[in-house]
Amino acid sequence: MDFISIAPYKRGIIFRDLALIGGAFVLLAFFLRLNWVIDFTIFAILVLSYDLLYGYMGRLSFGHVLYYGIGAYTASLFLVHVSPNPFGAIAAGIAVGAVVASVIGFIVVQTEGAPFALVNLAFNQIGYWLAASGLQQITRGEDGLPSSVAAVGFLDFNDKPTVFVFALLCMLAVFFLLKTFTLSPYGVLVRSMKENDDRVQFLGYDTFRYQWLTFVLSSTLAALPGALYAIFYGFVAPTVIIPFGNIEVIFAILIGGAGNLYGALVGAVAFKLISNILATTITRWEMFLGALLLVLVFKFRRGLTGYVADFLPRFRGKPATEG
Amino acid sequence: MIETLLYGFTIGAILYFFSIGLSITFGTMQIVNFAHGMVYALGVYFFITFLPFVGRIFPLALVLAILLSLPIAYVIERFVIRRLYGESLDYAIIATYAVLLMGTDAIKWIWGAAPQPVSDPVGVGIRILDVNFPLYRIFIAASALALFGALRFFFRRSIVGKIVAAALEDREGVRCLGLNVNKYFSIVFVIGSGLAVLGGVLYAPIATSEPYMGFHILLVAFAVVIVGGMGNLTGTFISAFILGMVIAVTGRFYSTAADTMVFVVMALVLLKDSFRKSWQRLTGMGTRA
Repeated sequence: MDFISIAPYKRGIIFRDLALIGGAFVLLAFFLRLNWVIDFTIFAILVLSYDLLYGYMGRLSFGHVLYYGIGAYTASLFLVHVSPNPFGAIAAGIAVGAVVASVIGFIVVQTEGAPFALVNLAFNQIGYWLAASGLQQITRGEDGLPSSVAAVGFLDFNDKPTVFVFALLCMLAVFFLLKTFTLSPYGVLVRSMKENDDRVQFLGYDTFRYQWLTFVLSSTLAALPGALYAIFYGFVAPTVIIPFGNIEVIFAILIGGAGNLYGALVGAVAFKLISNILATTITRWEMFLGALLLVLVFKFRRGLTGYVADFLPRFRGKPATEG
Repeated sequence: MIETLLYGFTIGAILYFFSIGLSITFGTMQIVNFAHGMVYALGVYFFITFLPFVGRIFPLALVLAILLSLPIAYVIERFVIRRLYGESLDYAIIATYAVLLMGTDAIKWIWGAAPQPVSDPVGVGIRILDVNFPLYRIFIAASALALFGALRFFFRRSIVGKIVAAALEDREGVRCLGLNVNKYFSIVFVIGSGLAVLGGVLYAPIATSEPYMGFHILLVAFAVVIVGGMGNLTGTFISAFILGMVIAVTGRFYSTAADTMVFVVMALVLLKDSFRKSWQRLTGMGTRA
């Protein structure tokens, strides 16, 4: 696998990052309610997966939550109808997410810009409608679908610390995967397609193939947090697949800074803190969030990590020539 | 069935009122303007507030509501939209969505989250062949037709309209003639916002007004703008009525699918080329994309 191989010294950096991020999340779990931190971790995986599509490939999508919802519903249905094994449910969620993403991705990656964003929104709306009323007999519509998990060996997913550790390991695995991919020659290709698609084609690459692959990868990784959500809450309702959920993901990535994965993590935690803490302390938190976003767009466009980058050179986006 | 068709025309008319402003901003500045939904909702709430003060005279409250929302639209254009020109799509979306979020929260703050009912200002219908036609809905559909004619006149005959129509084709070309394009965009943006408020107020007696009403119509209006062709005003008119009819007919046979059907139509329009390219890829025929 020469195409996704990276230099050994970079591997060292990745492992150091993994330790730092894992430590930071464990620390969060000590200070905040464990329920929240599990929620943060699941959301962070979703934002990480979106960063590949938006931050690295430059494709703004309003339909990313579709795959999150597919993961959640598939996992829930697996738990209810097939077996209460949580690992089976996760595998099923990811598999169905991958299949749907392959089919939809094949068509949608051929559009760009606003049409790409809106076509994805359309598919997300169709998915929401299917969950809320179209497949009501299966999904139980607005009432939601409850499920329960059985213990596998010593792992009991009804126990919150176990769920937390497992979700955190999943997040670190996704981070490792995405960091490896984006540092490899494949990652350079993805970033080059963002800069100028035509020139990459002139170099002899069939860009469609890589755009499709990246779309499928990003969407499949979004199904994982969906499945984790279904296992953690033991309940799935159409709100998991609602198109407005995309706005939260986009906000999170903008707060953190797109295109460097650290920003996705920082943004996910920051956004969840804002919406959880502010919602309980300030009544007008939507007003505050709106004002914050205007300031971000007009004054601090590179997000939180963009400003940390001035002090820590390592956070800065790597130039595309580096492989 | 005739009632369904009339309902389709009514929805189409409202969508047309709302989509004009969206289409112009999309066509001239390449900005997806979520803030349009905020002006729309705010205007309707102004109307509901004014109605008791002017002795429940519907047209007077309507005019006051439109007049009050114009300066708000101008502020949004001047301080948010204009600063976003030439920026990438995502920043424009985030900034205008932030404005929508703040506006919606302001509405919840001032008026509360409960839906506000408005009674039908005409209240009578005409009976033709045992079918009851509410006069008010016929009036809405007719006013959309009148507006279409008026806008055609505006863009073909008036100097402001001609400049904007030219800028829709080629913004830089118009600037090279020494015209301050921004000024004319401001005027048209404010007019578009006023029309959205007009549509919102006309729709208020049929639907219920709640703080998130701007969100709901926005998504459907995006579909209208896409299907009609961004910045194509005649296309917007036709697609508004087509999609209004899609909503009404789907709603009659399968009520929950009404909005989703609109998105299916939009996706089909957007993916027209993609389907062809995908087919070529799968079969290996034609030129490589």
